[in-house]
Amino acid sequence: MRLRKAERAVAYVVMVLIAIVGIAPFAVLFLISTRTRLGVLQVPPPLTFELETFLANYQGVITDRFFLDYTINSGIVTGASTLLALVIGVPAAYAFSRLRFRARDQWASTILSFRFMPPVAVAIPIFLVIRNLGLGDSYLGLMLPYIAFTLPLVIWMLIGFFDEVPREIDDAALVDGCSRLQVLTKVMLPLVRPGMLVAAIFGVIFIWNEVLVGVYVISSEDIKTIPVGAASLISAQRPLDWNVAATVGVVTILPIFIFSLFVQRYILRGVTAGAIK
Amino acid sequence: MPAARRDPINRRRDVFLLLGPAVLYLVAFSVFPLLYSLTISFFDWRVTQSSFEFIGLGNYGELAQDPVFWQSAANTAVMTAVGVSAQVVLGTLLALFFDLHLRGSWLVRGILVLPMLLTPVVVGVMWRALLNPDWGVVNWALGLAGLPEPLWLGDPSLALWTLTLVDVWQWTPFVFVVVFARLQALPREVFEAAQVDGAGRLATIGRITLPLLAPAIAFAGIFRAIDAFRTFDLVFGLTYGGPGRVTTTLSFWAFENGRTFQRYGYASAIAYVMVIVAIVGVTLLFRYIQVRREDAS
Repeated sequence: MRLRKAERAVAYVVMVLIAIVGIAPFAVLFLISTRTRLGVLQVPPPLTFELETFLANYQGVITDRFFLDYTINSGIVTGASTLLALVIGVPAAYAFSRLRFRARDQWASTILSFRFMPPVAVAIPIFLVIRNLGLGDSYLGLMLPYIAFTLPLVIWMLIGFFDEVPREIDDAALVDGCSRLQVLTKVMLPLVRPGMLVAAIFGVIFIWNEVLVGVYVISSEDIKTIPVGAASLISAQRPLDWNVAATVGVVTILPIFIFSLFVQRYILRGVTAGAIK
Repeated sequence: MPAARRDPINRRRDVFLLLGPAVLYLVAFSVFPLLYSLTISFFDWRVTQSSFEFIGLGNYGELAQDPVFWQSAANTAVMTAVGVSAQVVLGTLLALFFDLHLRGSWLVRGILVLPMLLTPVVVGVMWRALLNPDWGVVNWALGLAGLPEPLWLGDPSLALWTLTLVDVWQWTPFVFVVVFARLQALPREVFEAAQVDGAGRLATIGRITLPLLAPAIAFAGIFRAIDAFRTFDLVFGLTYGGPGRVTTTLSFWAFENGRTFQRYGYASAIAYVMVIVAIVGVTLLFRYIQVRREDAS
């Protein structure tokens, strides 16, 4: 749409305001994380930067408060769960896209509906089952429910990506004597790689941020993920040391921030993969 | 053709082979827990008093008379209705705005996407710092502008609105992304034809753009509503349900009963009421998601 000069100027001002609302909270959070415990209370916040305080805060959070360990735990749990969700979910999505069987659409929508079930409704049973399996305070104890939470979304997104691949490709491979499984692994997987990436990104974001089931299942510091660690820090320590809380915030946000720089365009793709009518 | 004769048998085997693992997994870790918590909801199960007794609908009866349950139901409803409405309006406006494709807008779009990726617990803590009445930067700025400096999180008449506001900040980007993507996919000729016919800008948006975007907007709104309905993490980080009970959501009340008070039966009853509501929401959502596809095989 064409704009007049004055309108264009106003539009740019609006855009800058939007950017400020989006980014200012993070800037202020970072600023607080560079303060001493009492330095936080200074209003207006002076725009000074003390390297010593900065290093002390971050070292305190990363090593003394185990956030390096939490990050590693989060990485292991998120990576392994997402991978397994793909391994289980990709064949299912392929079946929904290609095979015809009774009540297929009902099966598909039932699976998808699990994406929307409130996690509080399964947190207690999952906690009990995981404990009875002897998996409390283990990576596997977190991964098992996380895979279940991610699976519906993975399947849902990948059905859309499989649908975009022409069926003639399958038919040709089948005529050549491939089994369905071979068609999937040898022919289709390379073609839906972008789709798997999109599904993986959304799986990663969800699992990385999950806290409710984590709080139920995990009590040992050795297994805590970042959000569970942050949750226990803010609920255990009252009143909060705000410089510490802000540092925890930055340390938590930073990996996601870097991650989002790399996957930006796939996020846009993923949100639309829901095949809106 | 021999391949065609083998087909039906192979098909059935293929369905089991490809779909089996996913179905079995979800039965084990989604269906079973859901049935398990339904069962628990009929028991008086308090871990702290090691009581375990079948009481039928007793928990649901208690729930009906629990003022905190009704308050959290009302809080959840207000937060979902008001918050999601605001997200839908703002997200759509943002999508229309970014459709101008100003220079540098890709960067601002990138910034905008960030909040919805963040850990909600930490988003809550972050806003607690920003909104602190004594040293928070928000009230400092309001003071400079000569505006009143409210107790965002401490004032019982305001805290729920603050929670809603932070939810709007975090999730408006989701609506924006969905609507913007749809807008970019619309055929440009429609708009050009309207302009040639002399339609004004507002008329074009109102009569052509918005009706074309309506399914995407509805999808984003319902999707968000189902998620807002189960809000837990943000409450945990921002207000912990207080002051008093003014920001306790249904999820949070179920969590407190389950995790803090160790009343598994009662917590499951609260959660199950939520499941019923979620099913209604999902049914609505399915009208906007293409589950049925034409058969080509």
